[in-house]
Amino acid sequence: MASISVRHVYKTYPGDVTAVKDCNLEIADKEFLILVGPSGCGKSTTLRMIAGLEEISEGEIYIGDRLINNVPAKDRDIAMVFQNYALYPHMTVYKNMGFALEMRKTPMDEIDRRVREAAKILDIEHLLDRKPKALSGGQRQRVALGRAMVRNPAVFLLDEPLSNLDAKLRASMRTELTKLHKKLGTTFVYVTHDQVEAMTMGDRIVVMHNGVVQQVDTPQKLYDAPCNVFVAGFIGSPQMNFLDAVLNKDGKGWYVEMNGDRLYIPEAKATEGLNAYVGRGIKLGVRPEDIYDDEAFASANPDWTLDVSIDVSEPMGSEVFLYLHYGESTLTARVSPRTTSKAGDRLSVAIDMSRVHLFDAESEDAILN
Amino acid sequence: MNNKKATRGIASLLLALASIVYVSPLFIILFNSFKSRTYINLKPFSLPNSETWVGLENYIAGIDDYGFLDSVGWTLMITVGSVLAILLFCSMFAWFITRAKAWYSRLLFMLCIFSMVVPFQMVMFTLSKTADTLRLNTPWGIIIIYLGFGAGLAVFLFCGFVKSIPLEIEEAATIDGCGPISTFFRIVLPIMQPAYITVGILQTMWIWNDFLLPYLVLDQRHYKTISMVIQMMRGSFGRVDMGAIMACLVMAVIPMIVFYLAAQKHIIEGVAAGAVKG
Repeated sequence: MASISVRHVYKTYPGDVTAVKDCNLEIADKEFLILVGPSGCGKSTTLRMIAGLEEISEGEIYIGDRLINNVPAKDRDIAMVFQNYALYPHMTVYKNMGFALEMRKTPMDEIDRRVREAAKILDIEHLLDRKPKALSGGQRQRVALGRAMVRNPAVFLLDEPLSNLDAKLRASMRTELTKLHKKLGTTFVYVTHDQVEAMTMGDRIVVMHNGVVQQVDTPQKLYDAPCNVFVAGFIGSPQMNFLDAVLNKDGKGWYVEMNGDRLYIPEAKATEGLNAYVGRGIKLGVRPEDIYDDEAFASANPDWTLDVSIDVSEPMGSEVFLYLHYGESTLTARVSPRTTSKAGDRLSVAIDMSRVHLFDAESEDAILN
Repeated sequence: MNNKKATRGIASLLLALASIVYVSPLFIILFNSFKSRTYINLKPFSLPNSETWVGLENYIAGIDDYGFLDSVGWTLMITVGSVLAILLFCSMFAWFITRAKAWYSRLLFMLCIFSMVVPFQMVMFTLSKTADTLRLNTPWGIIIIYLGFGAGLAVFLFCGFVKSIPLEIEEAATIDGCGPISTFFRIVLPIMQPAYITVGILQTMWIWNDFLLPYLVLDQRHYKTISMVIQMMRGSFGRVDMGAIMACLVMAVIPMIVFYLAAQKHIIEGVAAGAVKG
């Protein structure tokens, strides 16, 4: 049983700097949970509190049914993979991997068996006699993983383990880590600031900002139904477009108005909750892929169009990013690679209003997803 | 291209000359140690010839008449004991004050730095009096005094090195099951090998060659270091046994040269290479 329960946890540093505020997480056994957020958001601090490398200022952390607030790191049955690998430079790969078992007075033949087994899984058997300085970044990363694996821990804690690898290796290691998680059947808690890692690897994602957990959900739900402007802007690349608008209602239904343009919200999407915002300022959130530059879509949905000019066009091969000038704002659209739109064009684009998000202008919380 | 070659040639020549000037005292001492006492004074810069050559006579005189071997033993014991004490205690101390973010860490570090600034002459008389009172006037006692005098530089160098060790390595050791003591001895100490060698070389050369501190502190009736024995060869009433002095100087300097040559290549070796990203 390796579930983790983080209950009302705070971390305050001397000088009254609060790194983590009232953090509550329920991590299921065998779950792959990702902690994501910008630098300084408290994700690594939360992981380090679970690991026992940081004291908990307030609150409780359980691994399984055991309260671990005062349990030393070595007795928490966890293993950690660090961002810079943190291999012991004076030991061979074999010694590095077997060190934790050696400290636990495990018999030598058992250490040998487990080190070789982990090395086989990670395909580093031929590196066992080398020292870390004779390894490439990717190999060191595997050794760091192997060092964690040999202990058969209840929980794997990974602190940005791929951030020092080049883009190609990072992509392949992402897949391998996902496979490894399935193979080991252990709880993984993974910290990253890279939202691609977060979206592709995790069962659930925790988005943190300024020490506060913003939202905990599956990758797709986070993308489709962000709880506030921060989450909406953080998840997704290119990020969501935000426009200041006013919400209103007339005979045709609910609409948002900005720069004199009215965009009508489909009846099926509108909710009772919108009534509280009639005539008030809101933020309209639109994903880049929900902006269409093809005439067919625009003419089919005349209530969803805006007149814009194209500042820059970025062909990416499989898609084209258009940077659109609208009023005082810049919008990013992700359109088909077969588009004929080019920089300098003035055109009408249509926004798929069935997929837009509305946020409270003051609290920035979601009103409609 | 030719200009570059000429510049390099001139630089090599100048450096070769500087090297000759630098090592010439050693060679002068070496060939004088095989000359008779009279000729050392008369022709100090001439090479030994059939007239002046006395073979190992000066070496035998140095060993037999002045108790040189005893002094080598005491010097070796004091040097090894002091250097080991400095290496062990100062590295532990430096590791602690670098890692423990306590209010007094900075204060302790500054105290160590301050001890380097105080000239030895300022404290030497009170020190010799205190050493007598506390019965530190033995080769074992002087190790403690050397530990105190060596701590400033050693802590300064060790602190700089500890800062370069990624904290994650020690955190990984904590998770792997190490306490503070085993983290130090099994992880930090091996990583600090280059710093140990640097500090070890500096302290060994200083303590081995030191004259003033043992002269002031040691009970000379029982214990003499090499420097003290060589100084005493000047004798009273102006009698100076230059032959024995030259021979003993050669014998005193050889272990240091061998030690330095054996250890110096390790100074620049970075043992921490490969521990982290790179």
